[in-house]
Amino acid sequence: MREEPPGAKGRAIGVQLTIHRIEEVIALVRDEGRRHLDLRSVRFADPYGLLLLHLLACDEIEHSRPLHIVWPDRTPVGRWIHAMGLPAKHGRAPSGMSPNVRSALQPITPIEDEAGIIDLVNRFDARLAERYPLDDAPRRTLIRIMIELFQNIPQHSNATGEIVHPRGIAAMQDYRDALILAIADNGIGLRTSLSLRETDVVDSDADAIDAVVLRGLSRFADPGRGKELQRIFRMVRSWDGTIAVRSGSALLFHDPERGADIHDVAPFPGVQIALVIPQRIFGVGEVDEVPEDRFNEPNE
Amino acid sequence: MNRQTFSVAQFGTRLGTRAEGDTARGVLLAAIEAMPPDGQLLVSLDGIEVLSGSFADELIAKSYQLLVSGLYADRTMIVGAPSTEVTEGLDDKLTQRNLAMLCLQNGRSSILGQLADPHRETLSLVIDRQSATAKELADTLGIPPNACHQRLRRLVDLRLILQERIGDAAPRTQYRFRSIL
Repeated sequence: MREEPPGAKGRAIGVQLTIHRIEEVIALVRDEGRRHLDLRSVRFADPYGLLLLHLLACDEIEHSRPLHIVWPDRTPVGRWIHAMGLPAKHGRAPSGMSPNVRSALQPITPIEDEAGIIDLVNRFDARLAERYPLDDAPRRTLIRIMIELFQNIPQHSNATGEIVHPRGIAAMQDYRDALILAIADNGIGLRTSLSLRETDVVDSDADAIDAVVLRGLSRFADPGRGKELQRIFRMVRSWDGTIAVRSGSALLFHDPERGADIHDVAPFPGVQIALVIPQRIFGVGEVDEVPEDRFNEPNE
Repeated sequence: MNRQTFSVAQFGTRLGTRAEGDTARGVLLAAIEAMPPDGQLLVSLDGIEVLSGSFADELIAKSYQLLVSGLYADRTMIVGAPSTEVTEGLDDKLTQRNLAMLCLQNGRSSILGQLADPHRETLSLVIDRQSATAKELADTLGIPPNACHQRLRRLVDLRLILQERIGDAAPRTQYRFRSIL
């Protein structure tokens, strides 16, 4: 890793902290050694970007390289990030800025053990139901998806026991015509998980994502295990949604326009997943006007 | 038929994680063991709002795998469901395990899991007739007796039908095949 380049401190992060742009932030920190993240120009963020920023900042602290994060000013996105519960240790909100509690659908929530998963899923579902009258069948499908994704963290993320400070977090947000669900951990990742198998060992993070998400493998020889991420991927694809699965130094990104592609990204521990589900799936029409207190500024 | 009902809703209406399914399986297996040797357990999904694949696998598919292995004599197990939606996860997991179960929904039977079309055709005929010999079934299906016997063997192995010995006439033992519905 290079030393922080001269003059980097004052350079602001671009306008997005999202599924599309968070890789640039990770690369700045991991590849270029940036310690100072100025988010004052950020005008749009999503739960996936926020969870990765949170895990990134925690990881840097644990390696004695704390980041200095300058929050967005008193903008809607700044108040939203505040309401989403980005921990104060990652930089203070500007003084006098109040969190916009109404804007955050489901703030950053820790996933700690399997026993609490159903309560957690119920909490996410209740938050969604407070905001929208969702159709029952897709709502139940989303509950099934959340059960599978949330339980993967206690089941798999530290299967080797090597993670000293395991973290699993999830968050959810609605925006215009989509629901964004993000789940992230700092665990062993898919490649190490699959290395626990005796057969079909993979050679790279990209192969591991391909094996788990596209071919349905798991670390277990038991034929009843695995395939859940594959099913979720297919389901989101059938809904014309977007899905990102990041593990190690690879990212699978699928959207309706470009299809699925696995490409290299800056190394980062664990597994991070985002689902962007069109709200029409739940019987909710497109929202023409997003009130200021609902979410970020428009995504340009 | 000695049929007993096992309500999955006793564990909750939104189910659940693998660990919860694993715990619940102990209760289900105890219920199977408590039945008479020819008993049938109807695993009822009435009242279930969500059944995850993981919970369904731990509770039902793994229990069924043990049943199919012959651990529980001639006991059988079927599923009762209020809708196809609630059985989606179970259907997937049975398929992964190359198993198949009979499911009752609103008085009609269907198959969950993995079963080839010829076997489904034969099973449907056994259910219609309630009881038949391999020769009778082969004649109706218009297939050679050996082919019919292979289909029936698979259905017996999956505990989707039962076989009863009806005689030892040469050259082989004679059986009748009986529906479990």
